[in-house]
Amino acid sequence: MKLTEIELHNFRNYVDQTLKFSDGINVFLGENAQGKTNLLEAIYVLALTRSHRTNNEKELINWQSQTAQIKGRLQKRLGTVPIELDLGPKGKRAKVNHLEQAKLSTYIGQLNVILFAPEDLSIVKGAPQVRRRFMDMEFAQMSNRYLYNSTQYKKILKQRNRYLKDLHYKRQKDRVYLDVLSDQLSAYGAEIIYQRLQLLKKLEKFAQNVHSEISQGKEKLAFDYRTTVEADQLGSVELIYQSLLKHFAKIKDKEILRSTTLIGPQRDDLHFVINGKEVQSFGSQGQQRTTALSVKLAEIDLMKEQTDEYPILLLDDVLSELDDFRQTHLLTAIQDKVQTFLTTTSLSGVQQELLTNPRIFRISEGNVTMEK
Amino acid sequence: MQYPEAIAKLIDSYMKLPGIGSKTATRLAFYTIDMNEDDVKEFSKALVATKNDLHYCSICGNLTDEDPCEICRDKTRDQSTILVVEEPKDVMVMEKVQEYHGLYHVLHGVLSPIEGKGPEDLNISSLIKRLQKIKAVKEVIVATNATPEGEATAMYLSKLIKPAGIKVTRLAHGLSVGSDIEYADEVTLFKAVQGRTEI
Ligand SMILES: Nc1ncnc2c1ncn2[C@@H]1O[C@H](COP(=O)(O)OP(=O)(O)OP(=O)(O)O)[C@@H](O)[C@H]1O
Ligand SMILES: [Mg+2]
Ligand SMILES: [Zn+2]
Repeated sequence: MKLTEIELHNFRNYVDQTLKFSDGINVFLGENAQGKTNLLEAIYVLALTRSHRTNNEKELINWQSQTAQIKGRLQKRLGTVPIELDLGPKGKRAKVNHLEQAKLSTYIGQLNVILFAPEDLSIVKGAPQVRRRFMDMEFAQMSNRYLYNSTQYKKILKQRNRYLKDLHYKRQKDRVYLDVLSDQLSAYGAEIIYQRLQLLKKLEKFAQNVHSEISQGKEKLAFDYRTTVEADQLGSVELIYQSLLKHFAKIKDKEILRSTTLIGPQRDDLHFVINGKEVQSFGSQGQQRTTALSVKLAEIDLMKEQTDEYPILLLDDVLSELDDFRQTHLLTAIQDKVQTFLTTTSLSGVQQELLTNPRIFRISEGNVTMEK
Repeated sequence: MQYPEAIAKLIDSYMKLPGIGSKTATRLAFYTIDMNEDDVKEFSKALVATKNDLHYCSICGNLTDEDPCEICRDKTRDQSTILVVEEPKDVMVMEKVQEYHGLYHVLHGVLSPIEGKGPEDLNISSLIKRLQKIKAVKEVIVATNATPEGEATAMYLSKLIKPAGIKVTRLAHGLSVGSDIEYADEVTLFKAVQGRTEI
């Protein structure tokens, strides 16, 4: 999949801008605070309808305007597809082929992106929500079913948390309805956990290969999904569902006391293990970086396997964060396969011989000029 | 220039209706001025009547000008099934299909703690009382929407009613996920009534 063109209207500091991209590597070059990340963000928002930097959509709209628009032209195996996202005070509207999409699930998945930013280097050591978000964002792009289940799950979770609070403050007293909510949450939660395990197993295989290459065969990377559900109950959706139900029955009173749901996929975590040791606790800086890079590159392979198309790769300031060896690895892995967009303040820290025919865009205060 | 007060007030009133902005409201107001007097009087009477003459049926919760409502009074209807819906307008939709001949019960919403609606805030206890009083009911069909809240409400009702030995079924087929019963076309509703599943 390639993004051949993007058109921005009042997105961040871009008032009216149309850019034509190369199928290979596109470099956004410029000083700090000129709008490099804004361009990557525009591509990310076009793909996923939400930003990786903010939950407040207003920030995405140019300060002088009420609405913003991002249009993209996709080149897929089966032809070109125009997609469009409009942002405004009344919310978002998404179009595929000029037709408005009523459901998120028919829009997300049109354009698949993988973003690699300096923050991602902290995927290993960072807070658990970073890893849950990573799983949710990647898996939702690969699977409509995952997206559907997690959307439903979030709605029910919100209702259940509110009802636990109502019970806590004695505004409500019916426990049968709480059981219904626990049942419903367990059903969707079980689907999510099961799907995560299946997809993680595949991702782990790809990540192992990359990691082994970077570590020159000295290290073996493994994933460890942490959940309340017992290890021997993870074999099927039904087993996970039963286990969650059983746990909910036990912790009901505690949940009412704390006014919140205490188990489920929104509490699970993913741990990384190298040669049998937790990277979180025992890994060196270098091992953490290698793990993060392996996981990101593995995502590309998994996305290709699941959707039959390579995703688009967005690299925000990461090249300069990686040493020559890891840079080489990253750039050779994507060469001639994955359309890439990268930002940098200077090309001096980058191994330019590996950037084959890059298209370079100079960014200055929201203005873009293409370099010959 | 300011509009005369009567027109300004009328524009303001029209703007209270959903989907009507100031432009449309102004157009409607000037149209009203040109209407003949009898029509305007009828119009205003109809508006007031919706508030004065409409009540909720004390048995089923449907909108009616007489209590009990026409459906609850009709002894020729199948007294052994009750179809549970979210809103009075859902009753209208079902009646249009002419495929269902039993009784109704209107919940006035779905369970949704976020909107402040718990079990006691819906028209549920009157349904339970109704089932205890009238032994003729053999089946309760829950036709809440296929949203998470609609599903939870259906499950909840099933948990309350089933122990009494009454069959509880769910309108399932045909209603697309996340859709409103209001928007379902008649063919899909027909299939839905035929293909209900036990819960
Ligand atoms: N809604 C908005 N409207 C107008 N300008 C905005 C808006 N949001 C951000 N900006 C501007 O965008 C610029 C930041 O852009 P961006 O984050 O892309 O910088 P960058 O080029 O990636 O810099 P760095 O190299 O420091 O990461 C700032 O000058 C900011 O004032
Ligand atoms: Mg930046
Ligand atoms: Zn009635």
